[in-house]
Amino acid sequence: MSTLKVDGLSKTYGDVVALRDVSFEIEDEFVVLLGESGAGKSTMLRCINGLTEPTSGSVTLNGEPLAGTRSEVGMIFQQHNLVEGVSAYLNALNGSLNRTSTLRSLLQWQDRSEKRRALESLETVGLLDEAHQRASQMSGGQQQRVGIARALVQDPSLLLADEPVASLDPSSAETVMAYLKKAAQTHDITGLVSLHQVNIAAHFGDRFIGLRDGELYFDVENGELTPDLIDGLYGNVETVGLAERTDEQPDESNDETVPPLAANEQVSV
Amino acid sequence: MSSDSTRKGVREYFGLTELGDTPVDQKLTDIKRRKTIRRIYTLVGVVVAGALFYASLVVIGFSITELINQIPQFLEALTEYFPPTTYYGIPFIDVMQYWEFMVAENLFAASATTMAIAFAGTVLGLPAALFFGVMASERVVPYPFNFAFRGTMSFIRAIPALVWVLILIPLGGVGPFTAALAIMIDTTGYLGRLFTDELEEIGDGPIEGIESTGANKTQTISFGMLSQVFRQFIAWIAFDLEHNVRSAIGLGLIGAGGLGLELNIQRKTFHYTEMMACIILVILMAGSVELLSQRVRAYLRDEDEVEQTGFIEAFLTAPRKIIESTAGRR
Repeated sequence: MSTLKVDGLSKTYGDVVALRDVSFEIEDEFVVLLGESGAGKSTMLRCINGLTEPTSGSVTLNGEPLAGTRSEVGMIFQQHNLVEGVSAYLNALNGSLNRTSTLRSLLQWQDRSEKRRALESLETVGLLDEAHQRASQMSGGQQQRVGIARALVQDPSLLLADEPVASLDPSSAETVMAYLKKAAQTHDITGLVSLHQVNIAAHFGDRFIGLRDGELYFDVENGELTPDLIDGLYGNVETVGLAERTDEQPDESNDETVPPLAANEQVSV
Repeated sequence: MSSDSTRKGVREYFGLTELGDTPVDQKLTDIKRRKTIRRIYTLVGVVVAGALFYASLVVIGFSITELINQIPQFLEALTEYFPPTTYYGIPFIDVMQYWEFMVAENLFAASATTMAIAFAGTVLGLPAALFFGVMASERVVPYPFNFAFRGTMSFIRAIPALVWVLILIPLGGVGPFTAALAIMIDTTGYLGRLFTDELEEIGDGPIEGIESTGANKTQTISFGMLSQVFRQFIAWIAFDLEHNVRSAIGLGLIGAGGLGLELNIQRKTFHYTEMMACIILVILMAGSVELLSQRVRAYLRDEDEVEQTGFIEAFLTAPRKIIESTAGRR
């Protein structure tokens, strides 16, 4: 159980306003952040995560203000941000750094429970057999799943993902999103994921927050994401048509609730 | 009458006549005058250079006669450098003489000493190189302060290993110990610099990735930065060890022990065959270490290309590289 509260968040880089007075509250949901490139999605996630200092406004997690990076907040990056030269296992184990003293972590003397947790997280993302492989030898989709595993090892109560599937092919993108949602569900983690692919967003999101020019444009539940909202966000583009075609229903399907089990089914394929 | 006109012609030639009436004549005279002055300077220059050249020849005791007289001795020395013999009636160099000397003088022990100087020096210098290399990186120590570490390394590199060993003689005497200390200092400056350069090229992504897990500063540097360049660091250490072996040979020549010292002793006692045996061993050692180090580096840097020296090239260029390594680099 965790509540993320963003209140009046603003961020300016010189004259450029990246975020303007954005407020919302998330509680145990899998929320998708939508918006054009440059709309402020990454800035928002980085402010919540502590990698970027907001100009004004506050971010609280379970009533506690978030300042700086911390292990309660897991982050998954578009470019994976793994250490490429070492194994998937060691990358996942890096998620436990916050709980391990510097000396012990340097000597790889983490508790056995931490090592087990790293492997369990890799199992959650379906990579237990590949745990010994170097990250650089893995495909983009696999690397991103290692990124998810690393975030899970942190034992976070909030999981952020910044366009986690933007550089992946459609099939890998779906697999990664399915694992991401499964991970959030099984560990009771609140998720906030920024996405470009509206069809994937519609399929996996419980709730949608739209950002336009750094401002909150919409904040709707799953059933309320209409093509009009999407058009308002991106201009008149064909993305909604794509979403309709990939969905099972041939008619206007975006309003339909996606069965929550769908994600798990795909994982087992 | 005719001598007068000749004199006038000469004066005209050197531009010493009165300036002419027309601007063209004036300019012509002017140009001739300038030319005369240039000629005088050239003449003075040639005379001075000639005098210095003659003085130099006197100082070095240059003598064509001695050169001619010494030719038989040189030819004799050549047969000592490369002692001739016949194998199955075919004339060839008597390789066994080299071998016998190598065994008799136990040159392999001397080689081991040289390797020990290089290896000990590298290992001793490694912690300092790592410390300075990391601290000099702008990502670890903010801008103006990292220059304290960069500057120290530049200072160390400005002084070649050859000079460091001379400076350190009061500390460890003339011997392998001092040579290892000099190589330790050299390694700090040079390997540290290579580490810094490597750290400048790493990506921000993995650093942020580690930061986002809530890791502390030391952990972020270790796991986000150093782990990215771990293999490259090992490759640079192999490169530096190769360089230090060459340095150690060169330092031996000025008395720091090992194979270089052995070579120097044979030179002083005019044992040409033995001297050549040392040179051959030096070349073999330097070349092999280089080839080995390249193999290691090629294996470690799978995507980056490592320069590949040919088998023969490695041995032929060994003497030049020994001098370069000893006398300082970049």
